[in-house]
Amino acid sequence: MNIIDIKGLTKDYPLGTTTVHALRGIDLTIARGNFMSIIGPSGSGKTTLLNVIGCIDTATTGSVKVSDQEITSMKDRQITDLRLHKIGFIFQTFNLIPVLNTIENVEFPLLLMKQYSKTEVTRRATKLIEEVGLKEHMHHRPAELSGGQRQRVAIARALVTNPDIVLADEPTANLDSVTGAQILDLMVEMNKRETTTFIFSTHDANVLKYAKDVVKIRDGLLVAN
Amino acid sequence: MNLIIKIAWRNILRHRGKSIIIGVILFLGAFVMTIGNGVISGMDRGLQKNIVEGFTGDLIIAATTQESDNVFLEFMGKAIDPIYNYPSIDSMLKTILIVKSWLPIGKNTAMVLNEDGGMPDFVFVLGVDFAKYKAFFGENLKVIEGTFPMSNGPAVLVPTGWRKQFFNFSNIWFTCPTCSLDTALLPPDSKTTLDDIAIKHSVVYMGMNSDNSTTDVRTEVAGVVKYQALNTIFGNFPILDIESYRSCLGYLRADDASVVLSEAEKHLLALDDPTALFGAEPPKASSDAPVAKTLAIASPVKPVDINTGVYNLVLVKLIPGQNLDASVKKITESGKKIGVRAVSWKKATGLVGSIAVVIKAALFLFVMFLFFVAIIIIVNTLSMAALERTSEIGMMRAVGAKKSFIGRMFFAETGMLSFVFGGIGIVSGFIAIQIVSLLHWTTDNDMLQLLYGGDTFRPFLSLGDIGITILQLALVTLIAVLYPLSVARRITPLDAISRD
Repeated sequence: MNIIDIKGLTKDYPLGTTTVHALRGIDLTIARGNFMSIIGPSGSGKTTLLNVIGCIDTATTGSVKVSDQEITSMKDRQITDLRLHKIGFIFQTFNLIPVLNTIENVEFPLLLMKQYSKTEVTRRATKLIEEVGLKEHMHHRPAELSGGQRQRVAIARALVTNPDIVLADEPTANLDSVTGAQILDLMVEMNKRETTTFIFSTHDANVLKYAKDVVKIRDGLLVAN
Repeated sequence: MNLIIKIAWRNILRHRGKSIIIGVILFLGAFVMTIGNGVISGMDRGLQKNIVEGFTGDLIIAATTQESDNVFLEFMGKAIDPIYNYPSIDSMLKTILIVKSWLPIGKNTAMVLNEDGGMPDFVFVLGVDFAKYKAFFGENLKVIEGTFPMSNGPAVLVPTGWRKQFFNFSNIWFTCPTCSLDTALLPPDSKTTLDDIAIKHSVVYMGMNSDNSTTDVRTEVAGVVKYQALNTIFGNFPILDIESYRSCLGYLRADDASVVLSEAEKHLLALDDPTALFGAEPPKASSDAPVAKTLAIASPVKPVDINTGVYNLVLVKLIPGQNLDASVKKITESGKKIGVRAVSWKKATGLVGSIAVVIKAALFLFVMFLFFVAIIIIVNTLSMAALERTSEIGMMRAVGAKKSFIGRMFFAETGMLSFVFGGIGIVSGFIAIQIVSLLHWTTDNDMLQLLYGGDTFRPFLSLGDIGITILQLALVTLIAVLYPLSVARRITPLDAISRD
């Protein structure tokens, strides 16, 4: 069963008087529970593809279905709800809320959902923080954590809502190789345990060994799957 | 909500520099607003207290034919229409429950004749029953020289302001017969030598009315008085006994109406040929009554009811807590059938009564200008803060925060700053007003007296004023946050990623 279904996706950016064709017609399906890597050189369009799948950017043409919902025709409020309930994000630069500590950052999306009691929110956040190995840093703010620890917090936050998909844009790019490997091991483990679909972009060949599927993109087109 | 408040508060602490800049602006705005509202309120209250309790009462009853509402301070000195039926007004007022007390008075313009041959002066004069005046206004007048007359014999109370003005004009110094010249009371800038000063113990007034029926009356100076407050404004109204005032204006006096003709006088008036009275032959009367003998007997005189004569205005004090405009309407309605109407003290004193509104408008414009500047600075600072936090806001949006969440978070931050710093500003302003009130700053300057609402500067803050200040602060906060809030709401996750 496919969690993502993309047909004829194009994305153009106006740049002065010219237009940059970031995606030129992508057709792609991703099965639920996959652990997929999107690879390609810088400027190939992999981040744009992830952004469109994650409802962060909009498609110029084509169809994008996430969990059977056509996202290209959604309004801002619906898209925000979809991001909150179905998608988790892990950014390259470990974007955390600087004024919240580890547990508060992880609790943040759960509090936005307004579906759980405070006790349940804390329980779920604590469980994930323990799973990513940050029990001792529960009350530290992002500025007091290392890069690897921040990325672990981002992973915990991405998973805490039990999303269908976790999108990670070069999650190891700013980490040393040992920490990067630890992060990928953690993602693989979560993928197995929670059967969450992971899609991550990278241009690091060492990362590829973790992926179940790899798609290669160049000049806005899929060149291998 | 807790989450928003938590993030907002921590962001305020995190961006201390910007928070302090915005906070100081809000503090100053709230402080100035509080002081401004306190000054305006104190002025309004002071003017009302001093004018109402010392000069006009809450409202004034005038003849329906009286065109202008400004019955006290019209600069052109147009004659105030007479009221001939005060007893009817008296009866009417007794039936109106909101009325506490009332005082009929005469008020018009008169010439003060210079007996030494100089130019006359023009002055507003009041005509009162002194005992009733005292009962109505209490201790609004301070007697500087002489005494306050309590009977209705011919007498005038000369106010210090007009005495000084007339002295500067004519070198004539009025004082009571039992008083000697107190040089300390002469105007300090007077260049007149003591030998040149003409001291007078009586004043000759000649009324000015529209009927051209005035006459001149001499009244002895009973005392020289000073108003306890706003003397520079009201200290230009000499106060005459009502009967002298009526004579001066050519009005019907109460004792005119009280003379009862004897049979002989009636007989004389009934003569077929009154000119015969002036002939060589004894007049032929229609009866044989001994005329000369009868005339020698004094005509019987009824006790004088001072109220039967003519007045111009009736000053009315209301029971505390009455709505002024509603009371004016009510009394005007009641007075229609007897030909009188009511005017509020504010309208009756013209520009002086409206001065609070004028100064209030000026201060309001000043405060609005201050707000305008404050709003621009706050808008600029907050907009910059929003853009600097693009990554944070964009990331929040990426993980599922709606635009409304971002809006509430931003509003909470500004609201907290406004609450804390604006609150401190209001409290500081309140304390400053209490301190200034205790200092009892006084002034003799006309304009400052208007600003003070009396001789003493007593700014005052009511709960309503504090409420208005809080509302103004809330409005400033709301206006200042609108644009930055829209900037923050427009930030998308893509903006955050693009920035990274």
